[in-house]
Amino acid sequence: MVVGDVTTSTDVLVIGAGPGGYVAAIRAAQLDLDVTLVEKGAYGGACLNRGCIPSKALLNGSELASGAGQAEELGVYADPTVALDEMISWKDGLVDQLTSGIEQLCTAAGVNLMKGTAEFADENKIRIVHQGEGQGSESLKFDHCIIATGSRPIEVPGFDFDDDRIVSSDGALNFETVPDELVIAGAGYIGMELATVYSRLGSDVSVIELLEQALPGYQEDVASIVRKRAEDLGVDFYFGYRADSWAESDGGAVLTAVPADEAAHDSDIELTADKILVAVGRRPVTDTLGIGAAGVETDAQGFIPTDSRCRTNKEHIFAVGDVAGEPMLAHKGSKEGEVAAEVIAGKPAAVDYRALPAAVFTDPEIGTVGLTEDEAANEGLTPVTGEFQFQASGRALTANRTEGFVRIVAAKETERVIGAQIVGPDASELIAEIAAMIEMGAKLQDISSTIHVHPTLSEAVMEAAQNARGKAIHRQN
Amino acid sequence: MVREFELPDVGEGVAEGELLRWRVAPGDSVSEDQPVAEVETDKAVVDVPSPVDGVVEELRAAEGEIVPVGDVIIVFRIDGEDEPDGTETPPADDATADSGQQTDDEATTQQAEDTQSEPAVTQRVQVAAPPSVRRLARELGVDISSIADSSLGRITESDVRAHADANPPTQDHSNQQTTAAERQKQQATSMQSVSSVQARETADRETTVAVPKTRHVAAEEGIDLDTVPTDERKDGEPFVTLETVQEYAQAQQQAQKKDQEAVAERAAADEPARPESRTPYNGIRQTIGSAMTASKYTAPHVTHQDEVDVTALVDARSTLRQEAEEHDIRLTYMPFVMKACAAALQENPHVNVSLDEANEEIVEKQYYNIGVATATDAGLLVPVVEDVDTKGLLEVASETNEKTQRARERRLSPEEMRGGTFTISNIGGIGGEYGTPIINQPESAILALGEIKKKPRVVEADGEETIEPRHVMTLSLSFDHRVLDGADAARFTNSVQKYLRNPNLLLLE
Repeated sequence: MVVGDVTTSTDVLVIGAGPGGYVAAIRAAQLDLDVTLVEKGAYGGACLNRGCIPSKALLNGSELASGAGQAEELGVYADPTVALDEMISWKDGLVDQLTSGIEQLCTAAGVNLMKGTAEFADENKIRIVHQGEGQGSESLKFDHCIIATGSRPIEVPGFDFDDDRIVSSDGALNFETVPDELVIAGAGYIGMELATVYSRLGSDVSVIELLEQALPGYQEDVASIVRKRAEDLGVDFYFGYRADSWAESDGGAVLTAVPADEAAHDSDIELTADKILVAVGRRPVTDTLGIGAAGVETDAQGFIPTDSRCRTNKEHIFAVGDVAGEPMLAHKGSKEGEVAAEVIAGKPAAVDYRALPAAVFTDPEIGTVGLTEDEAANEGLTPVTGEFQFQASGRALTANRTEGFVRIVAAKETERVIGAQIVGPDASELIAEIAAMIEMGAKLQDISSTIHVHPTLSEAVMEAAQNARGKAIHRQN
Repeated sequence: MVREFELPDVGEGVAEGELLRWRVAPGDSVSEDQPVAEVETDKAVVDVPSPVDGVVEELRAAEGEIVPVGDVIIVFRIDGEDEPDGTETPPADDATADSGQQTDDEATTQQAEDTQSEPAVTQRVQVAAPPSVRRLARELGVDISSIADSSLGRITESDVRAHADANPPTQDHSNQQTTAAERQKQQATSMQSVSSVQARETADRETTVAVPKTRHVAAEEGIDLDTVPTDERKDGEPFVTLETVQEYAQAQQQAQKKDQEAVAERAAADEPARPESRTPYNGIRQTIGSAMTASKYTAPHVTHQDEVDVTALVDARSTLRQEAEEHDIRLTYMPFVMKACAAALQENPHVNVSLDEANEEIVEKQYYNIGVATATDAGLLVPVVEDVDTKGLLEVASETNEKTQRARERRLSPEEMRGGTFTISNIGGIGGEYGTPIINQPESAILALGEIKKKPRVVEADGEETIEPRHVMTLSLSFDHRVLDGADAARFTNSVQKYLRNPNLLLLE
């Protein structure tokens, strides 16, 4: 007990107001539970403040700028000037609008909001330390708790974030000016999205990646389309290198990268940079939570293992979103938040999605859902695939964005759709149709028999399904 | 694809069977309808045919094991399919599949472990059901993967409902979630069922919305929230407030008290309980019961009744009695009746039959083994005297006496009660005139004898009719109307009467 500490109680305590936490809080309140939501920073979590939303705003702004300047083919001649500070403040306006919207939604639903940093006192009590000197703390007893503390960027030794030279994705979304030279460590989706933004805005971007591929984890033919387009935009890739150290030099930084495998590359490389973005991944926020006091277990990487009802090893404590494990996707966290709240309210909810769609907002975009061909084979299925290149799509041609393809994976025996990979324009939107189809247990013919609007990119989905059955119209099967 | 095959109902209404012998081994190829196992039920030994063309993957039952119908006994791999991992543990849920830039083994493992307690989220690919249907399955406590076997197609809402109706969820298999609050509710439910059977105007919902405080109070009071009547709704679900629960709890306690008082009053008003004693229904009593039930319900019984003037028999018996005693044989009327019946059966051979239903044949016996129903302390036993037609009266008397005596002493072997072709029951020994005896199957007729009484009867002698006191015995012949008709019974009875009326005729036998 801390002096001046006041103990109150709540049915459901939600820690963290990101897309997992605020959704859980609102749903729990809708179910007539007494809910308290504790947030130490801004409502909306990394997604709204430092991730999905701001990065998409900058991607859109940069696409507009770069697209206008590269449309001579279409008879458009322009040389747009970008005021990054204005773009960033436009972005900040959006973020403010969305975060205050979330705060209002929570309040309207009857969620008690508390500002502060939560730390478990025991398995039924939490201490909330208010921000600022002398603001004190209070304790809160809870019947159920939902941990939704999210994740934070991983730091690389020797590259401590200083918000000057060395930045995380948070910092890279708030540059005051477009850096002349930007070095990005990590060719995962965060690194690739920001490489896209700043190469479009005119930065000289270099990307260092430990592995031999951009977007590791994605199929080579998918990732290579994105890499080629990035190279066209002027991004230099250094595969098989690891950022080792950096030093100030002549008003800039010099980064030294060493070969990951000395057999493959025989020498170090040095890259000059105004800014160095470290984007090698994110780790769960469980270290500051006093989680041991609650008896909640974490795994070696700090994630909290949960069951399909989002329960931790403690029956009354739940974990949702990034903190509960990969993949770190806002929409996964939101779904889990709903499930946790409903389970607490006694509903028969469970995380039982068949397929989790995901998108990378590079140029072009990637949208994936369900299984790849190899994954299907590994699961003992006999996969059949169908593809359609955007090169053959009328709509893609008129948009002057013809890279990429739609690939649909189905089980050969049943013709049931089990996955899709889309790389190309608006892939992030197109993937939704296939996700719905998988959840509904649709067959290839269900997609190919559904009339798709002409001329749209979605016709490519229909054609890919037809191709999987050897019946595409607009390509040879 | 792997196909699990359950022991079918191999007989009509058979619940289990003993797996006698496997006719296949893992790795064997089988074709559809090929026998894979021999299973013995309480009715027969049957071959269990393969339902598919395929390869035997696994035998799930051992020879000699008693297997309930519906248990998986064998697993086949269906030809042309390649699924090395089988169906045992479907791949983990796809939280990690192809969606992020990294996969996370921990998460995958965790999900895989979950499949044990959470079947509804497994079998992503195999079970094709829309999210709304999967949710419904959880609400109804249906393991959706258990429906999948019967449906290669998409599982619909009606499939789930039909399955739920056919297989009411048990607590064990129910997918109903079990949070701490829910368990309290379940505890409350069981407490409820014990403590207050007399619930007043209970509702009976599947779900009830209530705030945790209300749930706590309900648990403390032993109230199942789903039984609390309410008109309120939240989000379309029945909603129960704290006040409602408290009122309901109070009402229930009062109702319970009232009922207890009523029970106490009734108990006080009633006479002390009537003395009763209980004896186990087993052993010979139960065997008799089963035999009688079987006979009465399979053979349509008809009883033909008549009387016979046995004055001559009474005279004959009293004369012979002295003789018999010199041979240390107690001579009753029974040996005379047995001899008379044997003679009558020879004259009416279609009465000395049994019905072989299995072969749809009527079996006419050319031997005359006569059973004598004997009352013992343990119940009715029927010792059989074989070949009565070939034995002399004293021999029959001696053997009958000896066997009935041993029957009373319970020293009769089962063999000595088998093989009868006809049975006589002497109901008159204790008293009574007519009876409706139950046939001792597989025989087709039974004769019950009444007490020999003196009765006034019209006697014709030398053209004159006079009323004289005569010894009269009643005969009640029950016969199986499946194989005998009334006329047969009457003719047979007439034959018996003839020999009993004039026992001298037995000398010709």
